[in-house]
Amino acid sequence: MSLKPYSKLPELNTANVLLVENEEEFQKRLSEAIVRQENSVNVTVRLARCLPLPVENAEGRPRIDLVVFIVHLRSEQSLLSTEASLKHLDSGYFLGKVCFLVTGARSGTVSYERLASIKRTAASLNCPLLMTEDKTTEGVHTAAQRVLNILKVSAGLVPMASGLYLSTLIRCSMPTDSDWQNQD
Amino acid sequence: MPRKSNLSRLDMNSSSENDSSNSGRSDRSLRVAENNRKKSEAEDPFVLALKYFSQVEEGTPWKGNDVVERHMAVVERVALSQGLPPEAISVLLDFAMSLRMGAALCVRVLKILVPASVVPQEAVIKGVSWLCVGKLPMNAQTMFIRWVLTVFDLIDSKDHLRAIYGFIFSFVTEDNLCPYICHLLYLLTRKESIRHYRVRKLLDLQSKMGRQPFLMHLLALYKVFCPELVTLSFPSKMKSGFRNHNSTWKVALSAVQKKNKAEVFSDIQLTVSVKKQPTSKKRKFKGHLMVPAMSSVPRIGTSNNKAFPLEQLRTFSQLLENLHRIELPAQMGSMLGSPLALHYMDCVRDDSAFLRLNFWLGHSLHEEFLFCRDSDSEDMTEAVRFLNTLISTQCFLQEGFSSTEVFLYKFLRVWDGALLRPQILGLLSDIPVVPSSRIKDLLFEPLMQLFFTSSLYFKCSVIECLNSMLLKWLTWHSVYALEDELDISVTSHTPLNMTLSGLMDSVVQLVQFVGRIATVGLQLEGYHPLLLSFTLDFYETVCDMYIKYNLPLVLMPPAGVFYPFLLATDPITVDRLCHIMYRYRTNLISAKDQDQQTEKAFHISRKTYREFNQYVVSIVSCLWNSRVFLAGMGIELSDEVLAQSKVPEYWTTFSLIHHPAFMGYAVDFHQKCWPERKKLDLNSIRTGKRWDWYVEFLFSEGFQGLKEFVESSLNRRASDREAGATAVG
Repeated sequence: MSLKPYSKLPELNTANVLLVENEEEFQKRLSEAIVRQENSVNVTVRLARCLPLPVENAEGRPRIDLVVFIVHLRSEQSLLSTEASLKHLDSGYFLGKVCFLVTGARSGTVSYERLASIKRTAASLNCPLLMTEDKTTEGVHTAAQRVLNILKVSAGLVPMASGLYLSTLIRCSMPTDSDWQNQD
Repeated sequence: MPRKSNLSRLDMNSSSENDSSNSGRSDRSLRVAENNRKKSEAEDPFVLALKYFSQVEEGTPWKGNDVVERHMAVVERVALSQGLPPEAISVLLDFAMSLRMGAALCVRVLKILVPASVVPQEAVIKGVSWLCVGKLPMNAQTMFIRWVLTVFDLIDSKDHLRAIYGFIFSFVTEDNLCPYICHLLYLLTRKESIRHYRVRKLLDLQSKMGRQPFLMHLLALYKVFCPELVTLSFPSKMKSGFRNHNSTWKVALSAVQKKNKAEVFSDIQLTVSVKKQPTSKKRKFKGHLMVPAMSSVPRIGTSNNKAFPLEQLRTFSQLLENLHRIELPAQMGSMLGSPLALHYMDCVRDDSAFLRLNFWLGHSLHEEFLFCRDSDSEDMTEAVRFLNTLISTQCFLQEGFSSTEVFLYKFLRVWDGALLRPQILGLLSDIPVVPSSRIKDLLFEPLMQLFFTSSLYFKCSVIECLNSMLLKWLTWHSVYALEDELDISVTSHTPLNMTLSGLMDSVVQLVQFVGRIATVGLQLEGYHPLLLSFTLDFYETVCDMYIKYNLPLVLMPPAGVFYPFLLATDPITVDRLCHIMYRYRTNLISAKDQDQQTEKAFHISRKTYREFNQYVVSIVSCLWNSRVFLAGMGIELSDEVLAQSKVPEYWTTFSLIHHPAFMGYAVDFHQKCWPERKKLDLNSIRTGKRWDWYVEFLFSEGFQGLKEFVESSLNRRASDREAGATAVG
């Protein structure tokens, strides 16, 4: 059963974000940073290794306003798991309620192909793709802040802006820069 | 050391000849100290090891040889903890390259050749001569050249190495060595080294091996020195040619250098018996971004050479005297830290210097920073210092390096928006004019993605950065604008030759981009005064492009930016908007005059005039005539919606009296006029002479922009309180 964005009613002044990460190493730190930062809105962070989510809790689960896929470029598995999870998401989510969080893009050991592949996925789904520095506290802080910015919009908490509107502005573009590959 | 003690003895003899007993005693104590030192040296296992390696017979077996193992262990420990002193490098390199104990040990020794301070040139020469003997196996050969490349900056002088340029050149025909040899030649090449037959050889190789980046780079350098010999054309943006060869030694080398730095400065000679320090574990450094020290390079014993090494420059007058015979330092990166060197770069405009500096910079930024292997550490101080130096250098030269530009475009795509933010945005504001065909891909897309997801402060700093970028582009234009042909590239080093229309296209794109992101950004941030202020800064630059920078272009802000300014809650924003509109008027009028006078002048489209006039009408009707929201006054809303708001006389709500930005002043004025009145009736300000007094009162409170606007754009009708907007066009 796929996760649906509009099957439940929203609650007042509340935003729910789902962090999906196969390795479960970054999501905890990120969720703490998110909760610590936001104090004007009730933010609930839910964690998952992959989709689909278990059916048992489906009733009690609140409406998810944003699904964040954390992709570690250091591991191929992370990429494969993300691609597999995407299939279990209702198409309504791709109208501005999904974003990708990529770590390790700046590292020299990562192959360009992997980055290009996740970029292609994000671009074909019209989703934003954020780069993060997961090793430093400042990096985690920044990532949390950026996720919150998107979350607030997609949860409808920012007047005159919607998730779809924002994601048309920040969606990932197809990787075309061939000179990048040459340099590496 | 012995020489030093002799010197001191001489000094003492000359200064106090009559006090012989005293000098004799100190003489004796010195000798005792020296003997002690010698004794301790003789027992030092490291000294013994070196002695062993320098004297060991050829053909001594190494398998199962415990003596070698023991000595190797000592040398390895010293090398990795403190680095090797120059004489040890000589001994060990000679031992390894002569293959006295076989190839296996040769590679093992090469791997640990980490110099503590400098590498003696003669040792390298000897190594090259062993290379010429031709007995070395291929892996040892490449390893040796890679080692030379790694320690190149530490070689104490390079004149003899340059003298054997031909010998080194002969190795380019070896397929495996060729990339490394090309890199080494790149570092050694001077104008004298370029010969016709060498160029031909390289071209032959290129036809055989294809357009290899390392050959291309070397040929490009040849072309800079001798354009008449190399007729090839090179692409403007070449792939980075020489890969990072030094990974074997880099970590150990930088660790040793860091540790030794303090000691070198305190002038302790790095003799064999360096103080035993607790051998700390090799520290991993994040990147090794350091501006290298300017090394004393050539000119030892060559008295007839006239070249003047740059690092010996101390004063500006020295620079002026020797301007024609400056010798560039071996390590181009060292020029970044030296203002005199930059003066030299700036006035001589040496192509090869720029090429080499660009090459070095691109390599450092790319390898050490963008794609650094171990990005775990949080220590960014080195990178911060390096990038700050780079920013101040670019500021000094008043242009960006092309390698910085390439680096930035890549970095923006993997940036999280926080890492080194001030430095990255600082560098970004320095980039030269981006051609309008590529500006979207290179700049706008990555910036948009960062801008809309990041915090308010990031949004402000991006707008600020784009403002200073625009300012620099405009300044370049106003300095370098020629009559017909515009050469925007400040130097001939960048391949970018822009026409006036090309520049204008880029400026239009940039201004429109800021208009777009500011519109949406303001909306997302709830029209935050801080973001409003930074956007106003930007438009203060834009409105004066014609008069201040002589760029025939007038671009109005979009409605999504203009109306938030006009309806802002703080008076400063409204006042600055009025000032901007006044400047727009001045620019438009002056452009119109120009238009009528000369045939060639540019033509401002009717649309711009229309937009401007519409905005003026909006301001006047809103602040002056109390006709906001009525038909034809800019913002229009349907009557039903306005009625629903239940605001009585809604058309007056943004007049100078009721505007949220000015209401405080109106109340203040009201109190001053009628101090005894209990009931506040702001509308009474609109009657009689009071309105004029109120406006004067506002001017006296420092609203200069408002004053300028009123004096230029308003024709006031004496009969009533109405005013008409003065249109342009």
